Amino acid sequence: MAPSRTGHAPTMEKLVKSLKGQLLEASIDSYIHLLKRRQVTGDDCAEATAHILRQVVAKSKWSDVDQLLNAVQSVGSRLVQAAPQEPVIGNIVRRVMGLIRDEASEERNADETMSESISELPALAPPTTAVHPARPQPTPFRPPPLSSVTSFHVSRSKSMFNLLSVADTMHSPQTGASTPMSQAQPTSMNSLRSEVLDGIEEIMDEISQADDQIASFAEIQINPTDNVLAYLPSRTVERFLIKAAAKRKYTVFLVSLDPPNTHSGEVPFAALRKKLNSYGVKTIILASNGLMAYMSRVNKVVIGAKVVYQNGGLLVESGASVAAQAAHALSRQVIALGGVYKFCPEDPSDNIAGEKGASSTYVSYSDGLKVDALEVENTVVDYVPPELVDVYLTNLGPQTRHHLATIMADHYKPEDVGFSLHPGELY
Amino acid sequence: MATESAVAPGAALAAPAGNQPVSTPAPTTAPAATPAEAPKLTPAQLKAKAKEEKAARRAQAKEVKAASGVQAPTAPDAKGGKGKGKQDGSQAGQQSQKSALAHRPSVSGRRPSFHVVEKDTRSVIPECFSHVPMAKRIPTAHAHKDVHPAVLAVGQQMAAFTLKDSIARLQATLLAFKKVLEAYETPKGNSLSRHFVPHVLNPQIEYLTECRPMCFSMGNAIRILKAKVNSFDIDTPEEEAKEGLLEMIDLFIKERINLAEFVIARNAAKTIEDGAAILTYGRHRLVEKTLLRAKRDGKVFSVSVIDDPYDNGGQEMAKSLSRAGIPVFYSPNLGGLRAEVQRATNVLLGVEAIFANGSLYGAAGTADVAVAAKTASKRVIALCETINFDRERVSVDALTYNEIDPEQNSAEHFRLLFDTTRDYYLNGVITEFESGTGNSPAQAILALLRKQEDPALN
Repeated sequence: MAPSRTGHAPTMEKLVKSLKGQLLEASIDSYIHLLKRRQVTGDDCAEATAHILRQVVAKSKWSDVDQLLNAVQSVGSRLVQAAPQEPVIGNIVRRVMGLIRDEASEERNADETMSESISELPALAPPTTAVHPARPQPTPFRPPPLSSVTSFHVSRSKSMFNLLSVADTMHSPQTGASTPMSQAQPTSMNSLRSEVLDGIEEIMDEISQADDQIASFAEIQINPTDNVLAYLPSRTVERFLIKAAAKRKYTVFLVSLDPPNTHSGEVPFAALRKKLNSYGVKTIILASNGLMAYMSRVNKVVIGAKVVYQNGGLLVESGASVAAQAAHALSRQVIALGGVYKFCPEDPSDNIAGEKGASSTYVSYSDGLKVDALEVENTVVDYVPPELVDVYLTNLGPQTRHHLATIMADHYKPEDVGFSLHPGELY
Repeated sequence: MATESAVAPGAALAAPAGNQPVSTPAPTTAPAATPAEAPKLTPAQLKAKAKEEKAARRAQAKEVKAASGVQAPTAPDAKGGKGKGKQDGSQAGQQSQKSALAHRPSVSGRRPSFHVVEKDTRSVIPECFSHVPMAKRIPTAHAHKDVHPAVLAVGQQMAAFTLKDSIARLQATLLAFKKVLEAYETPKGNSLSRHFVPHVLNPQIEYLTECRPMCFSMGNAIRILKAKVNSFDIDTPEEEAKEGLLEMIDLFIKERINLAEFVIARNAAKTIEDGAAILTYGRHRLVEKTLLRAKRDGKVFSVSVIDDPYDNGGQEMAKSLSRAGIPVFYSPNLGGLRAEVQRATNVLLGVEAIFANGSLYGAAGTADVAVAAKTASKRVIALCETINFDRERVSVDALTYNEIDPEQNSAEHFRLLFDTTRDYYLNGVITEFESGTGNSPAQAILALLRKQEDPALN
């Protein structure tokens, strides 16, 4: 699957370069085209979306926060509708919108409670004391109390994992403080713009670092002599396996859905196998449709999630649910890998595997059968229900299903959850 | 005696015919000697190699001595000759200069090269699956001299998977055995009931087992056949015994294969209700017959076929059902499993065999379908002839009894042909024995089978 990962798809750098060189509207359009043609898929979508939104913030004309939010939301909706099969786009849009709200409220507070924010500054440094005295004072000045709380959550949750964001949250009140009181509105908007751009930069860093951070947990999850089954390993899973290989002697079973194309002479997973083998980790490629047959030999199944839904279900490559289900049937661990940016504050739609791929690759009509006589169902995505997943391994470390709601709340604002307004149309 | 049978490949090899096994030593010494072909040789391997060479020399000497007399009937035979031509082709040039030589000596000369090929195919099997047998093409020239040409042909077709499913293999084997019987003449001073099985039938069985591990139905049939031979008195006239055996084989094919298929299709078709959405996996003869029968009976239903992309039989079935006017949804692989299971009302699985503990032995992927269907609380029914029930073997995981797909076995990848579905993923089994409600668990049928004398015996 995922032929677009290689093939004609532009590399991330090329894509970003081409998007940068164009006018805003042109680069949005060309990105939408790439999405529609499935030439940008999976993890690249997240990064590319962040790039596009960064340009929206930087280049589009806006004079207040609401205009900015509207601009991001409208571009975001277009992107989501161009690629409903990639919910991660919506996640990034929500993150950016949340970021704008945070920065805006901080900016406002900085303006309105100049003196207080200065007095707060030393108190913020030791977090324990900061929580208590900070809260009662500013509340009257912050119009939406909910967002102020969540914004605090966000900054706190970020500060735990992302040193940059600590610098940033500490930084923003300072900028407000250093700005002269008599600042004009445009200046404040300019500083908001730069704050938001910095924030998007951070999201982009988070995306690009997520795989490495997830991989850093590999040696905890994978033990010597484990037999690990990886179903169509994604980039995240590959990095995880390689990192584990550096520390552990184990065996990897690699599975792909369809028979390897013998005509092209392409060796499946060649690069990954070479790396794993160089560490002395054995690889066995299972050229098989069903996986129950091998499961008694396997003790862990690693699945790369495209998206983690708020119920804990996973959007995955087509067929990955077969691996998860077989593991569950024999009580084997199922480890889902995915950065926090893949956490999607929505429930999976009923028709989640609705997207169909090309049927002609599978069915030959050369024997005179009418083309419409057979309903060919070639699914390209799959859904793993939450009860089949044992561990969610994120860039914030391993999580359980019960903790997912907290992570969602830390990263998204409730008012942005339904930003595309037509969640029903997503699928 | 009957239970000893030749079902287990090991047992079959351990009980070779009493007469001098000219070419049987080759396969038995081969595994020990194979490392000798590797570039680096340990002293032990050198020793093994020397040993093998010696054995080959001795065998050659013996063969040359025996060549004129005993070999004559097999070699000029039309089928044997044809098979050999094929084998020469498959050996691809490397031995071509030798094949020009007189055929007998060339056999021993060829032997090492044949085993080099064989070693390569087995050596790439991952260690944890190295116990699993794999079908292999045995050049007909390497077959035991006593193997009947009809059996040779069947063996080749089994190794090449032209004869694939259990019942097709059983039927071909039985028909070939009929040819063996017809050609059989009891040597002077012997009786058919004492001589036929060890000296004539067993070499055939060994050869077939070498080509591809025997399926359970073949084991069952051979056990019944041997019991029948043993039931003859020592001084039953040869003609009478032969007649009796040929008749038994005919009856067996009629009852246990043809009639069983008809009854199962009829019974299973009855379980299909109007408006049903049937899910099935791959192509199985019984499932196909059942669905076509249900259509003929006027039932209105739809079918989802999930295919195995390594086999593509499902596509053929989907097309054949579609031509019959049944609405068919076709998924090229298990990727669509979840969606298809949700759509389905019940699941029909055709299986290769059923173990003594009620587990199904089915095409790889069958278990995945059963698990998904059971999890979604869909009714899962297996279709199986009683001849495919094994009353001695128990299998819990898929690695106890299985076969490696020779087509997909390379350094790059690996595939098992079958998997094992535990009985708790099933609602019932439909065989030719019961009334067709599909509610009988496999264990009930096994109990019935245990009690019942094989009808063919009476």
